[in-house]
Formats: sequence, structure tokens, C-alpha cells
Amino acid sequence: MENLIIDPTTAAQRGAARECQAIAADLERLKVLLAEAGDKLLASFNVVGAVAPALARDERERRQIGGAVASAVTALQFQDMATQLTAHAQRRLAVLQDLVATLAQETDPLLATTRLQPVKQAGMGAGSIDLF
Amino acid sequence: MQSILAVDDSASMRQMVSFTLKGAGYNVIEAADGQEALDKARQQHIDLVLTDQNMPRMDGITLVRQLRALAPFVATPMLILTTESSDEMKAQGRAAGATGWLVKPFDPAKLLDVIRRVIK
Repeated sequence: MENLIIDPTTAAQRGAARECQAIAADLERLKVLLAEAGDKLLASFNVVGAVAPALARDERERRQIGGAVASAVTALQFQDMATQLTAHAQRRLAVLQDLVATLAQETDPLLATTRLQPVKQAGMGAGSIDLF
Repeated sequence: MQSILAVDDSASMRQMVSFTLKGAGYNVIEAADGQEALDKARQQHIDLVLTDQNMPRMDGITLVRQLRALAPFVATPMLILTTESSDEMKAQGRAAGATGWLVKPFDPAKLLDVIRRVIK
């Protein structure tokens, strides 16, 4: 019976390609989940934002509701930032997949073809302001 | 009523910006990218431009540069509201003629404060 010889490099490449595919699938699912959650939150926000201010019984409650609505406006911008980050991760992953496919290549397409990460913010606190 | 041209390819961002500006009494004209904004800006009076940077068809810095070349927009305040926070990008915005650079996410009160400071 002939011995089955497995090339470790080829096996590693196949494993890496399989992992890349799994990550790509996860990113697609994440995009769908973010879009669905964002759309539902925005729809709810529209209702609450239109009705809530009229429910205030005094100035203190008016300020409380105003503050909560303002915080929601800042927080609801997560969808745009998360969508950009996901798209960026997908571009990086596509480069990684190319890299796996052409492992012997001397150049580094990961650095050569992708931009710097467009979203550096790690939280949802308001961003900086520069007036020129 | 003063008119603000709000430009962003994200519908949710346009919604948040419009909600904030309309609540403060501004008339808001929305555009989904730089090219659409440029087309709309040529057709009406605009008191301030608030634009995203990364958009399909035409980005924010290009929009600012093109608007600055039009006589009605020589002195119009133009703010770039973006996730981009690098000094290099800010310098490009400044060179194009932007009035200011705001990093997302925006705080409604701070955004309105900046707009009141720069709008005529």
C-alpha cells in the first residue's frame, strides 16, 4: 500500500484559506446584524424623539429628556462607524486571502494595497473638533 | 431660516445630523455623496456645508475644493464630519478650504455650538 504524504506547507495554506473563508462569512453576518439593529433602533428613536419632549411635566424633566435624546443621537452613530470598520476588515481579509494564495510572493500586498484604518475611535464618546 | 447642506453616504448619519439641525431651527438639505451635494449647491443658497469625507463618487475634501472654486461659496463655512482623525487628512482638508474638522461621533450640543460660531 502506497504511503500518503501530506505537504505541510500545502496543508497550512489550505487551513489558512479555510479560516479566511470562515472570517469572511462571520463579517457578512455581522454586517447584516448591524444593519438590522441599526434600522430598528433608528425607527424607535424617531418615535421616541418625536413624542418624548412633549411628555415632560416640568423644566427638570424637559432637560432630562433632552439630555437622553442627545446621548442617543451620539450613540446611534455606531452603525456608520461599525459599517466602515467591517468594510475595512473585509478589505484586509481579501488581501490576506490573496496573500495565502500567493505565499511565495516576495512583496507584501497587505501593506501595499490597503489604507490605514479609517476608524481609530475605540468608544462612542464624542470625537474631537478642530477649527482652522 | 438658514440652510445647511448635510452630506453623508450613511442614511443613519444623515438622519442624526438632520434631527439635530432641524431641532435647532435650521433648514437641512441632504445629499448622499459629494457629487449630489455639488449639484444641489449649484441650485440654491446654502449658508453652511457639513460633509462626510469618505463617500462614493466624490469625497468631502474634493467637494470642499470644488465648492470653494464657485463664487457663491468663497466665504461659506464648510465643516468636515468624519471618522478620519489623522493630522495628514486634517491638513488636506484645511488646504482644500475647509473651515473645520469634526471627528465622529458628534455630540449634538457641541456640533450646534460650532455651527453657531462659524455660520454667518
